[in-house]
Amino acid sequence: MSHDYLLLTIFLAIALVFPLVPLAMAWLFARCLTPAKPGNDKQASYECGIESTGAARIQFQSHYYLYALVFLIFDVETVFLLPFAAMGFVNISVPNFLAIMVFLLLLLESLVWAWAKGIFKWK
Amino acid sequence: MSFASLLFQFLTPEFMLADTALLVLLAGLFKSTAQKRGMLLSLTLLGGIIAAAMLVLHPHYGNLSNGMVVGDPLTQLVKLTLLTLSLITAIFAAGSTVREHFAEYLGLILFSTIGMMLLAGTEDLLMIFIGLEMTSIPLYILTGYLKRSSASAEAALKYFLVGGVSAAFLLFGLSLIYGVTGSTSLADLARTPRAALLDPLLLAGVVMAMVGFGFKVAAVPFHLWAPDVYEGAPTPSAALIASGSKVAGFLILAKLLTIGFAKGTGSAAWGLFQPGWLPLLAIAGAASVVVGNLAALSQSNVKRILAYSAIAQSGYMLLGLMATGTTGISSVIFYVIVYALTTLGAFGVVSLVEQRRGGSQLHHFQGLHQSAPGLALCMGVFMVSLAGIPPLAGFFGKFYLFAGALGSVSSLYDGNLGLLWLIIVAVAFNAVSLYYYLIVLKHIFVIPTGAEPAQPSPRCATSVFVGFLALAVFALGLYPAALLEPIQNAVTSAATFAAKTAALH
Repeated sequence: MSHDYLLLTIFLAIALVFPLVPLAMAWLFARCLTPAKPGNDKQASYECGIESTGAARIQFQSHYYLYALVFLIFDVETVFLLPFAAMGFVNISVPNFLAIMVFLLLLLESLVWAWAKGIFKWK
Repeated sequence: MSFASLLFQFLTPEFMLADTALLVLLAGLFKSTAQKRGMLLSLTLLGGIIAAAMLVLHPHYGNLSNGMVVGDPLTQLVKLTLLTLSLITAIFAAGSTVREHFAEYLGLILFSTIGMMLLAGTEDLLMIFIGLEMTSIPLYILTGYLKRSSASAEAALKYFLVGGVSAAFLLFGLSLIYGVTGSTSLADLARTPRAALLDPLLLAGVVMAMVGFGFKVAAVPFHLWAPDVYEGAPTPSAALIASGSKVAGFLILAKLLTIGFAKGTGSAAWGLFQPGWLPLLAIAGAASVVVGNLAALSQSNVKRILAYSAIAQSGYMLLGLMATGTTGISSVIFYVIVYALTTLGAFGVVSLVEQRRGGSQLHHFQGLHQSAPGLALCMGVFMVSLAGIPPLAGFFGKFYLFAGALGSVSSLYDGNLGLLWLIIVAVAFNAVSLYYYLIVLKHIFVIPTGAEPAQPSPRCATSVFVGFLALAVFALGLYPAALLEPIQNAVTSAATFAAKTAALH
């Protein structure tokens, strides 16, 4: 009984150490090695390396979020079509072909649905 | 036969529902006409009825890929119940405050139903998690469906955040269980020797899984989301959360515990506590009964009263699960089905009152027996059944539940009172619950209404089905064997089936 829970304790300890050590190291690193020298360039918001234009705290239209979701349709489509393309269309069996067609049809329906709902009109 | 065609045979009703949902979504895109809602609803009902017919006429019994998908009389019965509950919810939705994007609302109800049905028909940890997520994600959206109501958005956010955290707990717990036993199949789980020894790591896994399920069935101390969600969500969504998702949740919890951890029960009998899942259920169940019933006393909104009542009823069902064995399981399933029918009916009445009087506070119900006597009578049946008064189904449900829990342990430990302490707590607080159920009825039958604008009560399908549910609750009270016998037969045949497949391995 005494060593029954040892495993669980070790598990808990590792679970705590795992996130805390990197955090502590980052804190130490910032504390000991990097002097604080704030400046215009250093505090500017990062925009892929080009010079920033304006503040980072602007409002995004929530509409943009729907675009990102619809983009996912095509994204997923590509990912799942790749193995079929790699198999070569010559060797593909009829059930497999039907399966991928049903899958494409599902994605197509979601596209048609999004279109009809007027998601592509920028308001 | 190939795996795909086998899978298709097992899951034909689910495929049918998915097709219906996609069709309803497409049909919703056509230009809106006056009959559009009726057309969408009939399309949904048609698909659902065909799926139910497939379920009844061509049941597929067996076990696919070591318990991933299971078909036996019990899952068939529960799937049929889930389908019925969802279709009635869809009918309620047609006459409710949900106006915009109605096709998507129906589609989401169907998608959630598919998740529940998959959940009912599996004995595998991975599929349990997937089924729960497939059930929950549409329910989050259904909760936040009233775009212009901040209460609805708040409820959806709360439900989503709490649900996400609980899913994380569940997944971590299931991964610990898998890590210790090396299998995701519940049957394998029961056979591993370490499952019987109750390894501390395994116990941690079981506790975490119980936390996850505790959130799903709204058991204390994981119940705090329930009142806000029931109040803020559109009433049909709340009805589905309270009925269908609860039936599926309790069935899968029962399966996980009684099949997967049949040897790790422990004991919650008075003075004989042993580690295992029984003490967990005892604590969560007793706390739910106490907190749910006491907190309901001070509520002024009928949906919140129903939410706290749901918490208390979850407590009774958790206590019922402690009666392991076939009688215990069948009494829990009988109870949860009766509870789902009753609460669905009560939400139907609330939905109608909301439509006619613009709210679900207690004062909105005043004088209902004058303006809508039939509706008032139905609400009376539901409330009295929830309180567990004899001629109605709720009484027999509670009776079987408590009798099962009482009988299961006292035979094992001679001279010990067993679970009597829990039953005493449950019965005592059931008496407390009578107060708030009767408060609702007092507002309906006793307090006269003020100056009420005389609105003609529209004849709609919702009131017909509310009446049907009330009739069902009444009939099951007069003749409970009509439901209990099929359940008992299904549970025993499922048990013998499981034993046979276990012997084959």
